[in-house]
Amino acid sequence: MKKVTKRAFAVLLLAALVVAGMGVYLVRLVMDGGDWASFYANDSVYTNGVLNRGSITDRNGTVLAAAGEDAFHYADDSAVRRGCLHVVGDLDGNIGTSMLSIFRGKFIDYSLLTGTTTKGGAMKLTIDADVSAAAYNALNGRKGTVLVYNYQTGEILCMVSTPGWDPEQGIDFDVNDSAYEGAFINRAISSTFTPGSVFKLVTVAAALENMPDFWQRTYTCTGSDIIGSQTIKCTGHHGTLTIEQGLACSCNVVFGHVASELGGELISQYAEKYGLTTAHTLNKDIPTAAGSVPVAQGQGDAAWAGIGQYEDLVNPYAFLRFIGAIANGGKVVEPTILYGKSCGSEQIMDPSTAQILSEMMSYNVQYEYGTGNYPGLEMHAKTGTAETYGGTHAWFAGFITNANAPLAFVVMAERAGSGYGVASPIANAVLQKAVSVLG
Amino acid sequence: MHLDLSNLNLDFLSGLDFDPVSLLFGQASTTLANLSRYILPLIGLWIVARCVRSMLRERYEPETWAYLYLAGDVMIPLRHWECILGRAKSVDGQIDDPGVERIHACLIRGPQGDWTVYGLGKGATYVNGDLVQPGGALIQDADVLTLGQVSARFVDLTEEERSALLKYRHAPGRQVRPGATMLLLTVFQIILLFQQLTYNPEAGLGVIMGFGILAAAQWTYFTVVRTAGQTGFEPEILALFLSTVGMSVAASKTPDDMLKYIILFGVSVGLFVFMCLWIRDLKRVKAVRLYAFFAAVGLLAVTLVLAPERNGARNWLEFGSFTIQPSEFVKVLYIYAGAATLDRLFVNRNLIFYIGFSAACVGLLALMGDFGTALVFFVTFLVISYMRSGNFATVFLAVAGAALGVMLVVTVKPHVVARFETWGHVWEDVYGNGYQQVRAMSAAASGGLFGQGAGNGWLVDIYAAETDMVFGVICEEMGLITGLCCVGALLALAGFVVKNASSGRSSYFVIAAAATMSMMLAQVILNVYGTMDILPFTGVTFPFASVGGSSLIACWMMLAFVKGSDMRANASFAVKRPERFSGGIGVDDADPGPDGGYDDGSGGYYDDGNGPGGYYDNGPADPGGYYYPGGRR
Repeated sequence: MKKVTKRAFAVLLLAALVVAGMGVYLVRLVMDGGDWASFYANDSVYTNGVLNRGSITDRNGTVLAAAGEDAFHYADDSAVRRGCLHVVGDLDGNIGTSMLSIFRGKFIDYSLLTGTTTKGGAMKLTIDADVSAAAYNALNGRKGTVLVYNYQTGEILCMVSTPGWDPEQGIDFDVNDSAYEGAFINRAISSTFTPGSVFKLVTVAAALENMPDFWQRTYTCTGSDIIGSQTIKCTGHHGTLTIEQGLACSCNVVFGHVASELGGELISQYAEKYGLTTAHTLNKDIPTAAGSVPVAQGQGDAAWAGIGQYEDLVNPYAFLRFIGAIANGGKVVEPTILYGKSCGSEQIMDPSTAQILSEMMSYNVQYEYGTGNYPGLEMHAKTGTAETYGGTHAWFAGFITNANAPLAFVVMAERAGSGYGVASPIANAVLQKAVSVLG
Repeated sequence: MHLDLSNLNLDFLSGLDFDPVSLLFGQASTTLANLSRYILPLIGLWIVARCVRSMLRERYEPETWAYLYLAGDVMIPLRHWECILGRAKSVDGQIDDPGVERIHACLIRGPQGDWTVYGLGKGATYVNGDLVQPGGALIQDADVLTLGQVSARFVDLTEEERSALLKYRHAPGRQVRPGATMLLLTVFQIILLFQQLTYNPEAGLGVIMGFGILAAAQWTYFTVVRTAGQTGFEPEILALFLSTVGMSVAASKTPDDMLKYIILFGVSVGLFVFMCLWIRDLKRVKAVRLYAFFAAVGLLAVTLVLAPERNGARNWLEFGSFTIQPSEFVKVLYIYAGAATLDRLFVNRNLIFYIGFSAACVGLLALMGDFGTALVFFVTFLVISYMRSGNFATVFLAVAGAALGVMLVVTVKPHVVARFETWGHVWEDVYGNGYQQVRAMSAAASGGLFGQGAGNGWLVDIYAAETDMVFGVICEEMGLITGLCCVGALLALAGFVVKNASSGRSSYFVIAAAATMSMMLAQVILNVYGTMDILPFTGVTFPFASVGGSSLIACWMMLAFVKGSDMRANASFAVKRPERFSGGIGVDDADPGPDGGYDDGSGGYYDDGNGPGGYYDNGPADPGGYYYPGGRR
C-alpha cells in the first residue's frame, strides 16, 4: 500500500502542469490581453466589426476619432483628418504604428481588471490638430513628413506623413498607384532616408570633440576637390571659409576634408552615440525604424559619409531626437504622443558641443538662410538636399527658442527639390501656426 | 449605489412577459446586476477556499485494523486493508531480517473482516506452521505468521475495540461547516440567476426553474446525507459549484432548453449516488470488473461502426432526438476496470492484460478520430500503470508505443494535422483553423477579472463554445477569477485524493481516485490550454462545467471514486462504516457538533503514524484504559 500511496503523487505532477499552463496563460493575458480584447470579433466593443466605443482627441480636445452607437467618425475638418491620419490610423489597421493599431486597448478602455467596459476609453494626444492640418497643407501634395515637438517637455505637436487618404472616405485609390507609394507607412517613424547635409551637424560634433584645432581651421573651396580617389563636388565656389561659414553654406569640400580626416569609423560612432542608428520606441509601444551609418572605408567614402551621402540612412524621428538634444543642452527629452505621459530624458551630447552646434545653427539662419524668411521665429536650423535616385530629398531640421514655443522640428519632402527652396518654407508655415496656437 | 425608487417601472403590468427581475427591482436591476458582477467571483473564490481549507485542515488520521507482534514486543500496526510485508522500506510492515524477501507477503482484509495472507515472490510464508498456498490462507486473531525465519503474532481487533478507536477519529465538518458552504453556493446561484434574468433577454421561466431545481436537488441531497450521519461534502460542493457554472453557460447558450440540462443533471446525481453505494462493497466491485472491460471495448467498437462522421470524428451515437458520446461513459468503465487491489498488482499477467486493454481503448478512440479523448485516456493510462507497477520499463515501452501511435494518427488524420499546424499561430488564421481560439481569447480578455455578467457574453454563440471553449465563456461572463476557481476546484480535488491516499484502505480506491483526477486534470489541460492556444485545440470537455450530457453524467459517476477514497471518519457514504457490520457498540456519529474536547488541535492520540507510541504499549488486550484518558467519559 505504501508504494501505491506514494505514487498517487503522480496526480500532483499533472496538477503542476495545470498550474504551469495557467501561469503561461496569465502572462500572455497580461502582455496581450488588450490586443485580444481589441479583436474585431469581440462583440462587446464592436458592432458588425466597427468599434462602438472610445475616442481620440488632440491636446485641445478636438475630436480626431470617435466611436458612437451608430458609426465611427474621424475629425470634422478634412485637412485635420488627413494630417492626423498616420497618428490616429484607421479601423482596418492599415497603419501598423497608429494609435488605433497599437493602443486599441486604451481606445476601448480595456484593462486587465475590468476587461472591456461599457463607456470606452478617452485618449488624449499631445498632437495639435491645427498644426497638423497646417503641415498637411504646407506639404501640398508632396510625399514627405513634418515632425514638431517640444524639446523641453517631449510633447509631439505634429507628426504628419504623406501621401495618405481621407479616413472618412476609406481607401478609394489604387494601392499600386505610384502617387500613393507608402501611403500606409508613417514616414516620420517607420522610414529611413538619405540625410544629405543635415548630417553635417553630426560631423561637426565629432570634429569639435576630436580635432583640437578644428575651430581655428579654414578651408578653400574651388567648386570641387579630390579626396582619396573620389571627386567631391560642391554646390558653388565658396573660396576660403571658416568652419562656421562652411556649415552655413553647407560646403561639401570643407566637410569632405573634415570627414576624411575623422575617418569613417568615428563618424559611425557619433551617429550611433546620438541615437541615429537605433530603433527607438515611442511611448514604449510604437516602434520606429533604425537608421544606418555604415563605417566607410577609405578617405573618399568617409568624406561622402560625413556629408550625409555614401550609404547613410536616417529616420526622421531619430533625427528629431538629435535636434532636440542640441536644443536642450545635449539632453534629449524623449518624445511622447500620449498627453500627460512623459518618457524621461537622456544626456546624449556634451553640453558645450550642443552649445556650439546651437550657435552655428543660428549663424546659418542669420548669414545664409535669412531671418526674414522666419518672421517672429528665433530660428536655428540646417538645410539638407540629399542626392538619391530619382531626385533630391529636401530637408530642413532645427529648432526655435521662442519663449512660449521651445520647438524642435524635422521637415523632409521626398524627391521634392532643395532643402532651402522646398523644406524651409514648409517649416516656416508649420512653426508660424505652432507659435500662434501656443500663444 | 443610489437606489432611486422613482425609477421603479410599473409598465410590467401592461406587458404579458414574465420578468420577475424588473418586477422586483425595476430599472435598478441593471445597476444591481452590474454591482453583483463584482461580488459573484468573490463568492466563488470563497466557496472553493472553504472547501480547500476544510480538506486541508480536517484531520486525516490513519485507521488501524490489526497488529503484528514480533519478538520483543515490536509492534507493527496494519493501517490498510491491504498490507505488504517484507524487508523493503517501501512496504507497509517492514521486517528487517535477511531471511525475509524484500516484498514477501501480502495481508488482505475482506469486507467482512476476514484476513487472508498471500505469498509474494520466492520466500515461504506460513500460518501456524502451514505453508501458504498460491490461493492464500486465512489468518485469525492470535495466529502465528512466519515469514522466512521470522515469526509474528497476528492480533485482530474486535469490532468493539475498533469502534472505540473510531470514536476518537475526527469527522470532518467541524473546522469548516459544510452547511455554510452550501449556503454560499446557493447565494452564488441566486446571483447567477439574477444576472441571467437581467442580461440575457431570452432567459425566462425555464432558467428560473433550472436554477430552482438545481438548488432544491442539492439541498435535498445534503439534508438526506447529512441526516444519515455523513459530514464530508467537499467533493460534492466543488462538483456542484462547477455544475452551477455549467448551468449558467447552458442558460446563456440555450435558455429555452433548460429542461434537458436539468434532467441530465438529475440523472448525473442519481448515478453518482448509485456509484457511491455500489463501490461500498469491494467484493461486488471486483466481481463485475471483467464485464467492465468488455463493456468498455464493446461500446467503443460499436461506436466506431455505427457513429456517423461529424467534424472528422465518429464519436457520437444518435438515438432519435438525443445524442450520446459513448467515450465519456467508457471513461468510467476504464477506471472501474483499470484500478486493482494489491494482490493482483504483483501479477505481471494482469498488468499486461491491462496494457492490452488500454491500447485497445486508445486505439479505438484514435480510429474514431477523437484525438483529444484518446490523449486523455493515455494520460490516465500512464498514471494507472505507474501506480500499478514499480516497473519503469513497462511505462517507458507504453510511452514509446503511444508516441508511434500518435505520429500515425497525426499523419493520417488531416483535421488533426491542421490543428497542430495552427497551434501557436491562431492569430495568423483568424478566419480558418484559429477561428474559435482567437474568439475565445478575445472574449476571455474582454471579461477582465470579474466578467461581463452571466448571460451578457457573445462567445457562447460561437460553435462549440459551451463545450470545447467553456473556459472562455466562463472568463467572459463570470470573469477570470471564476475561471480560476473552476480550475482551482479540480486542483483541490486532485490534492484531496493524494492526501486521502495515505489513509486508503484498498489500493483499488487509491488508484481509482487518482486515475479519476488524472483524467479530469488532463481534460482541464487540453480544454483550457487548447482554447487559449497554449496547446493544440483538441476539443475536450471541461469536467462538470462543459454543457454536454454524456460528459456531465460521466464526471459525476467518476466523482464517486473520489468519494470512495475519503477515509475520514463519517466523511463519505461511498465508504462503508465497519462498525455497522456486526452491530458493534453504537457510535454517535450523526453529530460532529460541539461535543467537546477533541478538536482543540492539541494533537490526536493515533495520528502520529509512527507505530508503537505511548498509547499502545500495553498491547491491545485491554485497550480500555488507554483510549479514554483524562476522564473523558
